Formats: sequence, structure tokens, C-alpha cells
Amino acid sequence: MTEHHPPADPSWFEKPRNINLIIAVLIVCCIGLVLADSFYTNDHAHFEEWENMYGFQAWLGFIAFVVIVFLGRVLRMIVRRPEDYYDR
Amino acid sequence: MIDNIPPGMIMIVGALALPFLTARAQAVGVLALSLISLVFFWFLPESTPESTLGKLEIFGATLEMVRIDRLSRLFGIVFHIAAMVSAIYALHVRDTRQHISGLIYAGAAIGACCAGDLLTLFVYWELTALSSVFLIWASDNENSYRAGMRYLIIQVASGVLLLSGAIMRFVETGSLEFAKFVSEAEPLSVSSFLILFAFGIKCAFPLLHNWLQDSYPQATVTGTVFLSAFTTKLAVYSLIRGFAGYEPLIAVGCAMTLFPIVFAVIENDLRRVLSYSLNNQLGFMVVGIGIGTDLAINGTVAHAFCHIIYKSLLFMSMGAVLYRVGTVKASELGGLHKSMPWTTLFCIIGAGAISGFPLLSGFISKSMIISAAAEEHQFVTWFILLIASAGVMEHSGIKIPFFAFFAHDSGKRVEEAPLNMLVAMAIAAFFCIGLGVAYPLLYKMLPHPEIDYHPYTMAHVVTQLQLLLFAALAFVFLMKSGLYPAEQRATNLDTDWIYRRALPNVFGVVKSVVIAMDRVIREDALVLLRELLGGVDKMFNKNGLLGRTWSTSTMTFWATLLLGICLVLYYL
Repeated sequence: MTEHHPPADPSWFEKPRNINLIIAVLIVCCIGLVLADSFYTNDHAHFEEWENMYGFQAWLGFIAFVVIVFLGRVLRMIVRRPEDYYDR
Repeated sequence: MIDNIPPGMIMIVGALALPFLTARAQAVGVLALSLISLVFFWFLPESTPESTLGKLEIFGATLEMVRIDRLSRLFGIVFHIAAMVSAIYALHVRDTRQHISGLIYAGAAIGACCAGDLLTLFVYWELTALSSVFLIWASDNENSYRAGMRYLIIQVASGVLLLSGAIMRFVETGSLEFAKFVSEAEPLSVSSFLILFAFGIKCAFPLLHNWLQDSYPQATVTGTVFLSAFTTKLAVYSLIRGFAGYEPLIAVGCAMTLFPIVFAVIENDLRRVLSYSLNNQLGFMVVGIGIGTDLAINGTVAHAFCHIIYKSLLFMSMGAVLYRVGTVKASELGGLHKSMPWTTLFCIIGAGAISGFPLLSGFISKSMIISAAAEEHQFVTWFILLIASAGVMEHSGIKIPFFAFFAHDSGKRVEEAPLNMLVAMAIAAFFCIGLGVAYPLLYKMLPHPEIDYHPYTMAHVVTQLQLLLFAALAFVFLMKSGLYPAEQRATNLDTDWIYRRALPNVFGVVKSVVIAMDRVIREDALVLLRELLGGVDKMFNKNGLLGRTWSTSTMTFWATLLLGICLVLYYL
């Protein structure tokens, strides 16, 4: 990977303050969504022990994402070859 | 008059007239012919047992070349939309090959999804393969030539399997009708299995999938947009028609949703990431086909419809990047939102749609398949589909837009995409939002309109947003902690390694063994021959027993002796 420096002409999305703002908004949304679980009942649950668990899809989304990325790291160890592998 | 033109035929025949137009008119011609074809298709009446269009008797078999019902109508419409969007996207292209092959390809796919018998299906099936390969070859380099060859071999093989299955089926049942091949009562016959295998290749089933990731990223900027829409969705349509409710497909589909997302995480070429993502999306559809209930089939068809549009949108945005920057390698990109703001916006809409954010098209289609799994109490399937949804968020929702347009600034400053590309992306983005909001318009066109499904329930919106935003949170966490794998220039092996490396290597070993054995045998034979010749030479040379010169007296002696023996024998 090439070394990178902060761009000379940072856009709104590249200013550290705004990046932190985006992350903060995301965290607030996440907290709000988990709290939202208290304000409705799912009458159509097919797997009640799972679907009525507090914030079920929230932790599932988080864990699944992390696991997938780590599986990717493992896979990279196995299948990674130089870029011109097939050209030799 | 209108009733007499088979679907797709306007495009296929019209394509043959394109070479006579000027370069600029060719591009417009593709768009115009697609539009005319759509108008005719729209007014084509639904087929009834009495309708005569495309009915033909040859060699005792009844062919039904045109069959219009709710299923083929919807696929035909979305294929037309995809053709038109791709045509607008390719308006700047001045390459006769690409215009002709793209138009024939789209027409063949439309014809195929209206084919009522297996023979017609086979003809269109092979035509899609033969026409589309030129979109790959049009890149005009060694890699695309080779990838195109591999693509063509695999696609044609799929057609050959389909034809074999169709012939066997005709011998067994006396009918070539393309109808459901599975029944509750009996297991799959050999002919049906061959046909399933043919569909499976085109649908990129696990282990049969790699032609997709191998060839699509090698096609031209505009060619990939065409390719992404037709071949695999034609296979999905065929599976719905022939194998709805065939339970093993659920397991196949689950595998298809999972393994490509892991490959997508580490892939550097963003068009190849999209190809893995396409594979994963097909998995959702195959699961729906395997479940086979009315809700699941509705979900599958709706998902195919929405998917064709948002997947084209994503391929178009990456195509625009490739067109302007010259590469779509994530390791080379970043910060492009400053130079390509509109492309960025459209890409984000496509990424949101594929991830299934509420108010976008993926939300109203994918959720039907997941709900269908839940209604059948298939817990494992349901759970896997949720995990796969988080995976979609990873590779298409975040990775594609983030590494191309944001991340660290690559310092590349390019022009915004050409106007025609932006218009095409805008239309696709409009559909992504439109389908997400005005979903009843799509729902009432589905094969089972009587199914009542409401995507926007409180529980569904909240849980889906939980899944997606917490996945995004996980991304932030992994990036901040440096655990997210860096984008690296690399080739990642997949099953194509088997036929690109392993088999040639095995063949090389076998060849060298054969050569060595051949050499030993030849050498031994030469030694033997030399010994034999030596022996002969020894006997017959001028000093040899049989070769030397004899004196006349010796010869006379032996002749007399011989005659004497004859005389004695005579008197005995």
C-alpha cells in the first residue's frame, strides 16, 4: 500500500471533524434503533426465542460483519498470489 | 400485425442492419430498437391454448416458440429496461461489434424467457452465449481474449447439456414442453438432472460459478453492464420455470449467498467484487426457488427484477470510474467523490438498494424471500440469509463506494463521467428509489398477485436498519482499529485455478511421463534393432558365413553331395 498524506484540498468528507461527526451520528442511530425495540411488538415472529431477543439483528449484524472480515483475512492467507500469477 | 412478432426478434433482426448505419447512428439504433421492441412486447397478448403465434410442428414435436404469461412478461419487461439503460450508457461508444452483440444478446435473452419449449430455449440459450462473448473480446487484449474463450467454452457446454437433456426428455415423454421438471412423487430423472446442471452453470452454482468472476471484469466498460443483466437472470427464470420447490436448491442457494462474500472482502478489482456480489445475490434467488411457495416465488421474481437494475447501476458506476481513471483497483482509487460527485451519488443509491435500506428496491424484494424462509420455519436458511445480508452490506454497501470514492485520497483528479453515462445511472437510480417506494406497482405484476405482503412493518424496518447500521458500525470499528484487511494488489485463487493451473500442470506431468516412457521404449527398440542388424551384417558381410565368396570346387562338392542324397532318398 502506498503511503498517503492528507489531501491538499480536503472536502467536507475528509475533514477529521466531519468524519467524527458522521461516526457520532451513526452511533446515535444505532443506540436509537436498539432502544426502538422497546416500543413495538412483533406479532408475526416465526422464531420467537430469537426474533424477540433484545436487539437481535443488531448484534447479529455486528458479529456477522466482523466474522466475515476475519474469514476474509484467513482466506487471503490461502488464496493470495502475486498479481501476475496467471501471466507467467 | 403486432401479435405476429416474436419477442426479441425486432432486436435480433434489427441488429443485423446496424452495420449499414453511421457510427453515431448505431448507438442510437440500439436504444431505438430496444424501445420499439418494448412497445411491441408490452402489447403482446397473454398466450392461451388457442393462440397460434410461434406454434410449429416439426418431426412430430410441437414447438411453442412464444409463450407469454405473468412470469415471462415480467422478465421480458425488466430485460427491455436493462437493454435500454445499457444502450444509453453505451451511447458514446463507437464500436460496431459491441452494439451488434449487445443488441442480439439482449434480444436473445428476451426470446429465451418467452420460449415455451426446450428446443427454442436451447437456440436462444446458445445465442446469448455466442453474442455476449464479443462484449468480452471487445476489450482487445490478451487477457480478455483468453477469458472470453473460457467463458465461451463453459457457456456452450451448458447449452450442450441442455440439448442433451431436452433430447432425452423427448425420447422419454414425447414432449419438448418447457414446464416444471420436479414432482413430489418421483425423484429427478437423468434428463431433468442434465437440464438442472445446464441451468446451474449459467446460474453460477457453487463450484460452477467461476466463469462469472473470471469473465465479467474483463469485458469492456459498457459490455459488463449488458452482461450483468441477462445471462444469470435468464438462468434464474429457467430455474423458476423448471425447478420451483426443488428442495436441494435451498442448500445450494445458501452456499451461494455465503462463500462469495468472503472472496469479495479480499478482492481488489472492484468489478470483480461486484461479480462476487452478483453471485451472492443469485444465491438469494436460488433459495427462493428452492422454497418454492407462492410468497417465495414472488420474492424471487421481485428480487430478480430489482437486482437487475441496481446491479447494472453499480456496474455502471464502476464502469464510469474505469472509463475516467483507467483502473478499478481499490488499492489505486480513493477520494474520487471530489471529481465525480454524481457518479458517487448514484453509486451510493445502488449500494443502498442492494444492501436493502428501506425506501430502496432491495428492501421490498429480498425481505420477501427471507420472510418466505421464516414462514416455512426454515430456521437455518433464515439465519444464513440474515448473515448474508450483513455480507452484502460489507462488500456492496460499504466497500464499493467507500474505497472508490472516499477512503484515502489517491490524488487522482478526473472529469465527471460523460453525460450519457450519468443519464443512464440516473434512470437506474430512479428505478431503485421508485421500486422501493411505489412497490405495489411491482407486486401486482408478480406471478402470484393474490399474495398479500407488506414490507414496511415497524418490526421489519427497525430490524433491517439494526442489521445494516450495526454492520456499518462494525466497519467503523474494524477500520479504526486497523483490523480491516488493507486493499492489496493480488490475484486471489478461485475454482478457475483448477482449469487454468492445476489441469494444465497435471497435463504437463502426464505429458512429460509419456515423453520419458516413449524415449526409453524407442531407445531400447533401437538397441535391439542395432543388435539385429549387427548380427545380419556379421553373417552377410564379405567375411560372414553366408556372405563370403565361395570357391567353385567347394560349390561343386556341395552340389554333388546334395544330388547324391537325393538319389539315395529316391531309392529308399
